[in-house]
Amino acid sequence: MMEIGLTHYLAFAAALFTIGVFGIFVNRKNIIVILMSVEMILLAVNVNFVAFSVFLGDLVGQIFAMFVLTVAAAEAAVVLAILVVYFRNRGTIAVDDLNVLKG
Amino acid sequence: MLQIAAFYILAAVALISAIMVVSAKNPVHSVMFLITIFVTTSGLFVLAGAEYLAMLLIVVYVGAVAVLFLFVVMMLDIDFVELKQGFMRYAPFGALVALVLFAMFVLVASAVVEAKVDPHVLASPTPALDVANNTQAIGRILYTDYILFFQLAGMVLFVAMIGAIVLTLRHKPYVKRQNVGKQVARTRKTGVENTKPKIGEGVSL
Amino acid sequence: MNLASVTHDLAFMTPELVIAVGAMLLVLMGAFVSKSAYRAITYLSVVVLLVAGFLGVQHAPDNAQVLFNGSYVVDAFGGFAKLIIALTAACAILLSADYLAERNLEKPEYPVLALLAVLGMYVMVSAHDLLAVYMGVELQSLALYVLAAYARDDRKSSEAGLKYFVLGALSSGILLYGVSLIYGFTGTINFGKLMTIAKDTSNVGLIFGMVFVLSGIAFKMSVAPFHMWTPDVYEGAPTPSTAFFATAPKMAAAILLGRFLFEAFGEVVSQWRDVVSIMAVLSMFVGAIFALQQTNMKRLLAYSSILNMGYAMVAIAAGPVYGPSALLLFTAIYAITSVGMFGVLLSMRDAKGKEITKISGYSGLSKQRPLLSLALTIMFFSITGIPPLLGFFGKFQIFIAAVDGGVMPLALILVIASVISAFYYLRVLKVVWFDEPSVEIVGGLATTKVTVTGVTLMIALLTPFIGLIYTASMAAGHFFK
Repeated sequence: MMEIGLTHYLAFAAALFTIGVFGIFVNRKNIIVILMSVEMILLAVNVNFVAFSVFLGDLVGQIFAMFVLTVAAAEAAVVLAILVVYFRNRGTIAVDDLNVLKG
Repeated sequence: MLQIAAFYILAAVALISAIMVVSAKNPVHSVMFLITIFVTTSGLFVLAGAEYLAMLLIVVYVGAVAVLFLFVVMMLDIDFVELKQGFMRYAPFGALVALVLFAMFVLVASAVVEAKVDPHVLASPTPALDVANNTQAIGRILYTDYILFFQLAGMVLFVAMIGAIVLTLRHKPYVKRQNVGKQVARTRKTGVENTKPKIGEGVSL
Repeated sequence: MNLASVTHDLAFMTPELVIAVGAMLLVLMGAFVSKSAYRAITYLSVVVLLVAGFLGVQHAPDNAQVLFNGSYVVDAFGGFAKLIIALTAACAILLSADYLAERNLEKPEYPVLALLAVLGMYVMVSAHDLLAVYMGVELQSLALYVLAAYARDDRKSSEAGLKYFVLGALSSGILLYGVSLIYGFTGTINFGKLMTIAKDTSNVGLIFGMVFVLSGIAFKMSVAPFHMWTPDVYEGAPTPSTAFFATAPKMAAAILLGRFLFEAFGEVVSQWRDVVSIMAVLSMFVGAIFALQQTNMKRLLAYSSILNMGYAMVAIAAGPVYGPSALLLFTAIYAITSVGMFGVLLSMRDAKGKEITKISGYSGLSKQRPLLSLALTIMFFSITGIPPLLGFFGKFQIFIAAVDGGVMPLALILVIASVISAFYYLRVLKVVWFDEPSVEIVGGLATTKVTVTGVTLMIALLTPFIGLIYTASMAAGHFFK
C-alpha cells in the first residue's frame, strides 16, 4: 500500500512556493495579488515546517510555523495600512505607476 | 487508502486555487481562492497530525488575514482592468522561472528526505499520543522553552498595531462627534434663550 | 525550563528589557500626556537607548552566556555591536526631531517604532538559533517598513514603504525556506548543534538551506545582487528614516550574517566562502560604479552603503579566525560615519526650510556654511579611508584580515573600489568647496546641529583612542576560534 510520505508534502510546498514566486513575477501591476502571493509563499514554508516536524518527531517545526503564522498576520496588517495610505495619495494601486521612484 | 485520496484531493484543490489566485481577473475572487488554499492546507495539516496548527490556520489566516484583504479590496475603488495589463507579457518568462525553481526545490527536497537525523539532536521530541495530544504538547513547551519567542511575537504584534494606527488614523476636525456627557448635562438654561424682538427686526442668532 | 531558569536567563537580558519596557511606557506617555510631549518622548527614547547600550557593554559576561535552551547568546561580540547600534540609533532619532516637527509629523510613535526596531536588532545580534534570527529580523523590518512610509501624505514615502515591504517579505520567504531545509536536514535550528553536524556531513539540502538563509540576510544588508530596493527606498523615505536605515540596521544585519556563518558553519568555510566573495565583489563594483552617475545625494549615499556592505562581506569572507574583529570594527565606524553624513544632509535647507537633496544644490556650501562643509569633508575623508581619520582603521583592519584569511584577491579589489569611490566623494567635495553658490543655504536646527557636531568630533578626535577601540573589538571578536 502506498503511504503519504515526506516527499508528498515537500513537493506540495515546493509547488505552492513556486506559484507564489510566479504570482509576484506576472502580476507586476496588481499589488494586492503580489501580497497574496507573499502569503502563499509563507504558507508553503509552513507546510515544509509542519511536514519536517511530523516526520522528524520533533515539535520545534510546529512552534516555528506558529511564529511564522503570527508574524505573517502582523505583516499583513502593516502592509495593508501602507497600501491604504498609498491609495489615498495616488487614487490607484497599480504598481507600474511606481515611476516617481524609478526602478 | 482514504488518507491518500484525501491528500491528493486537498493538495490538488489547493494548487488549482493557488493558480487561480495569481491569474483571476478580480481581486475579490483571488481572496476567495486564497481562503480555499488556507482551508485545504489546514486539512493537510490535520492529515499530518498537526491539528493545533490546522485550527490556528483557520482562525488566523481565514479569520483575520483573508478578511483584512477582503476588507481592503472592497474598500478601495480599484480599476480591475488596469491591473491585469502586462499579465500575458510576463507569463511565459515567469512560468520558465517557476519551473526551474520547482525542479530545483524538488531536487533539494529529495536530498533532504534521504538525510538521517540523529534523534539526540532534536530539541523538543514529540511526546507519545497517550502522554499528551498535539495541542497539549505544544502548550507545554510554548510557554516554557519558547517563552522568549512568545514575548517577542508580542512585540511584533505591538509594532504592527502601532504601525497600522499611526499610518491610517486621522482625526478630521470637521467631523461632528457625539458627546454623551455634554448632551446629558444640557439644561434649560444653556439650551433656551428668551428674547423680545421688536416688530420688524427679528433676532440675530 | 522552569521559572527559576527563566528569571536567571532574563537577568542577562537587561538591555533588551530596558528597551522593551521603555518603548511601552513611552507609547503610554504619548497617548495620555499632552500632544506636546513629542520632544520629551524623543529625548527620553535617546536616554533609553544610551542606558541600554552601556548596560549591554557593562553587562557582557566574560564568557559567552547561552540562554533560553541555546536560543540566545550574550557575549562581548554582541555587547560591542549593541553599544554602537544604540549610539547610532540615538543619533538618528535626535536627527529626526527637527525634521518631523517642521513637517507636522511630530508624533510620539516615531521614536517608539525606532526603539522597537532597535530591540529587533539586539535580538539579531544575539541570535543563537534560527528562530531568534527570524523573530529579530522581522521585528526590525516591520518597524522599518512603517518608518519608510511614515510621511503618509507624501506619495514618494508610501511608495517607498510598499516597495520596501514587497522585497523585504520576499527575502523573508527565502530566508524561511532555507531555515526549513536546514531544519529538515539536521533536525535542529541551533547554531551550536549545526556546527557539529555541518562538520561531519555534507548534503545538498543543507548547503542550499545555508545559501538561502545567507541570501535572505544579504537582502537586509542590501548587498548586491540583492541591492535593487536600496536606492529607491533611500530616496523615497523621509530623510531621518533613511538616516536610520543606513546605520544601525546595516550593522545588525552584517553582524547577524557574521554570527550565522561563523557560529553555525564556521568549520566548513569552504562551503560559503565563494558565495560571500562573489557578493562582496559585486557590491563593491555596483556601489563604486553606479554611484558615479547619481545626482541625488540620498541615492549617492545608498550606493555608498552598498559599497560599504561589500567591504563588510570581505571581512566575513576572511573567515571565523580573522573576520569577526574586523567586521565589528569596520561596521561600527561605518555606522557612526554614516549617521554623521545624514546629519549633514538634514542640515541642508533652503531659505524656506525645504531640504536640498540634489548634489548641485551643494554648490558653494563652503562660502555660506564653512563649518558644515568642514564636517562633510571630514566625514567623506573618513569614509574614503584617508589615514588620520577613523574610517581608515576600519578599512585597514579588513585589508589585514583579508590577507591573513587567505582571500588576497578580495583585498586588492577592496583597494581598487576604494580608489573609484574616492572619486565620487571628491566630486561632491569639489562642488562644495569650489563652485559658486546657487541657492541660499540655511543650516540645520538645534538638535541636528548638536548631533552633527558630536559625530564629527567623534570621527576627528577618536583617532588617538583607536588603540583602545581596536583592543576592544579584538577582544570581542576573539572568542570565535
